[in-house]
Amino acid sequence: MKEKDWAVEAEQVSYTYEGNDKKALDSVSLKIDRGRKIAFMGGNGSGKSTLFLCMNGILKPQKGRMLIGGKPVEYTRRGLLDVRRKVGIVFQEPDNQLFSASVYQEISFGIMNLGVEEEQVRREVEQVISEMGITPFRDQPAHALSGGQKKLVAVADILVMHPEVLVLDEPAAALDPKHRKLVRSIVERLSEKEGLTILMATHDVDYAYAWADEIVLMHEGKVLMRGTPDEVCGDEDAMEQANLELPAVMRLYRRLLKAGILSAKGDSPRTLEDLERRISE
Amino acid sequence: MIVIDKLCYQSGLRYVNASEKFLYAVLTLAMCIISRSILTAAAVFSVNVFLTVTKGGTPFGRYLKLLLVPAAFLLMSTAVLVINISGTPLDAFAVPLGKCYLTGSVSSVKEGLTLCGKAFGAVSCLYFLSLTTVMTDILGVMKKLHVPGLVIELMMLIYRFIFLLMETASAITVSQNSRLGNKDYRTRIRSFGSMGSALLVRSIKRSSVLYNAMEARCYDGEIRVLSEERPAKWKEILCIAGYECILLGTVIWSWL
Repeated sequence: MKEKDWAVEAEQVSYTYEGNDKKALDSVSLKIDRGRKIAFMGGNGSGKSTLFLCMNGILKPQKGRMLIGGKPVEYTRRGLLDVRRKVGIVFQEPDNQLFSASVYQEISFGIMNLGVEEEQVRREVEQVISEMGITPFRDQPAHALSGGQKKLVAVADILVMHPEVLVLDEPAAALDPKHRKLVRSIVERLSEKEGLTILMATHDVDYAYAWADEIVLMHEGKVLMRGTPDEVCGDEDAMEQANLELPAVMRLYRRLLKAGILSAKGDSPRTLEDLERRISE
Repeated sequence: MIVIDKLCYQSGLRYVNASEKFLYAVLTLAMCIISRSILTAAAVFSVNVFLTVTKGGTPFGRYLKLLLVPAAFLLMSTAVLVINISGTPLDAFAVPLGKCYLTGSVSSVKEGLTLCGKAFGAVSCLYFLSLTTVMTDILGVMKKLHVPGLVIELMMLIYRFIFLLMETASAITVSQNSRLGNKDYRTRIRSFGSMGSALLVRSIKRSSVLYNAMEARCYDGEIRVLSEERPAKWKEILCIAGYECILLGTVIWSWL
């Protein structure tokens, strides 16, 4: 029987940064299905970012191997080009990702590197600029953009390359509520309409609980737990070990069940809105 | 520098084709320099002020303030040319100063004035370019002129990151000030030093993250980007050509 070709597959991946004794990744094995929304959670230094860099071929695992779309990553020029086309990373700090002062130049960079014809590049860049709502500030220099605007450009940078897997490293960090909402609605649209596989590192338990199909809990370079949001967030020991609190809605729901105000039928509510609806029923 | 950058992003001539503006500035600069007549310089200067201030919308006060910077240097160096210290008075002017005179000849005064005028004309050409054309557009023109890619890439990165560097530096200074880091001369020196080292360390870290981020988008050692081009307009090209012809006329006349 043919093995299923997972979107991303890690086999016993280990990585240690130079000059460090501790392993940043300690034989991590993980299979991620296509079209899923996966939240990666865990404290700083738990290995999320390192794992992301391995998926994109920036870091080469010292042990184990990464497979993208069922093919092992080849660390040759062509192999890396292929992997980086399939897996796009939006970095946490847009100031570390945007290298050009011009929004247009910035967005054209990735797709130009894929060797696409100039005319098509221009079309694609225009399209992503209008889709992402960048038009109002497209002529501004990068240093005059707000944090949220830079984030939108950083996402557009990657989307223009049409990746199959989109990796977002804490996309909502340091954004104001308006832009956080905007970025999240874009992510939602990408996963629903375009069927992208989305991997997102986040510290926001409430959001991960509401958004993700699955949560991967990481701790000290290992996968502590993986499962549906209910499984992972319901496991208080694992959550505590990863220094995470339970989602507010879950805590409230449990309390309401205990007090006999609600009865445990159907799925547990994932958002406060769900819970409100249950209460009003 | 930041003022100039802000002004050129707001300029009304910002979206005029960059090659046109570049060509205009360079040609006019050349005419202004090779001409022997102050008339050419005067024409160049006034047309540039008209274009930058009236057409481009740069506030006149700002423009004057910007002109003051080179003016200081210019006036000093012109003074050196015009004013001599001599035992005998020359024909233009002479101020007795003890035994000798602070004096100058008519020809040297003329020469000094022409030089000063030419220099202001030349400065106005460069100000025209830098107040109407944004850096990324200038880089686009340089690329067309086949300036080595390395130079252009360096300029592009420096232009982007100099603002981040200044932002970080000012944030560090604010946090130092809020902890009395500048209360006297000694602490000021020490604070400045530690800010420098913090900046260096951060820049190195940042550059490695940036490199990763660029590699993640298939960077292979050459930065390939597309720039937006504004179409050149025939009307504008004809105007520039006509104007340069007139200038050339005054140049030839000044050489006769």
